[in-house]
Amino acid sequence: MMALITGGSGCGKSTYAEKLVSRLPLENRVYIATMRVYDEESERRVARHRAQRADKGFKTLECPIDLAGAAIEPGSTVLLEDVPNLLANEMFDGGSAERILPAIRELSRKCGHLVIVTNDVFCDGVIYPDSTQEYIRKLAELNRELVLLADYAAEVVYSIPVTLKGTAPCDL
Amino acid sequence: MKLYIGGAYQGQEELAVRENPKAELIPDFHEKVREAILKGEDPKAFAQKLCLEKPDAVIVANEVGAGIVPMEASERAFREAVGRALCVIAQASDTVVRAVCGIGARIK
Repeated sequence: MMALITGGSGCGKSTYAEKLVSRLPLENRVYIATMRVYDEESERRVARHRAQRADKGFKTLECPIDLAGAAIEPGSTVLLEDVPNLLANEMFDGGSAERILPAIRELSRKCGHLVIVTNDVFCDGVIYPDSTQEYIRKLAELNRELVLLADYAAEVVYSIPVTLKGTAPCDL
Repeated sequence: MKLYIGGAYQGQEELAVRENPKAELIPDFHEKVREAILKGEDPKAFAQKLCLEKPDAVIVANEVGAGIVPMEASERAFREAVGRALCVIAQASDTVVRAVCGIGARIK
């Protein structure tokens, strides 16, 4: 099963995605963390997410770039958080945005269950410098491709999941 | 408690008034969150207090979190805070309506 969870900033995406994973099998539960920690704010964010999933039996795998290199046991239950960070690292930190989709395809083949968190950054109406516009376009493309692969997709609106595709794999 | 949300000027307030003519309305809740965090209040605690004090109110707010994460730290904090506060309000509400072009979709 593959699920894609999207939503705006602070809307409860992570909480919902973790709740989803906590209803899935416990064996080989892996959290793939993609955010680079470079200041106090990102440290606080990581600490909050760690506390949030502390009792859910996750092994944490840091993978800010090159997702294909993540060592995942076949059949694992994986929470990938999140696509926007992975894309930013690939685009602005010497990687390649084009390798994200093939890596996720491969990951979803290998995993028993894969829950992916992405983000809605598309509605502020601001025209940004070219590199940021390119980032927005690429993230939108990825989201659209990932929905095609997903069995279930939902937008989380202030803690409320609004289904975009399929039905939730478990009662929440 | 009821919550009406939407992007800027999507008609959430008009909808809230029309559907709840007798209820106490709290408009522009996102701006109240801005004021609260400027005073150093925790956004979740601020929302929880409102839920306790006005359990029958109709809350109206703009969705502000669906953009590129701002460079400015205070703007980042604002969007995050509105999200956290509205999660609390949405959980406490029996009804959540999202307005797009004046049309309300009931999501809870």
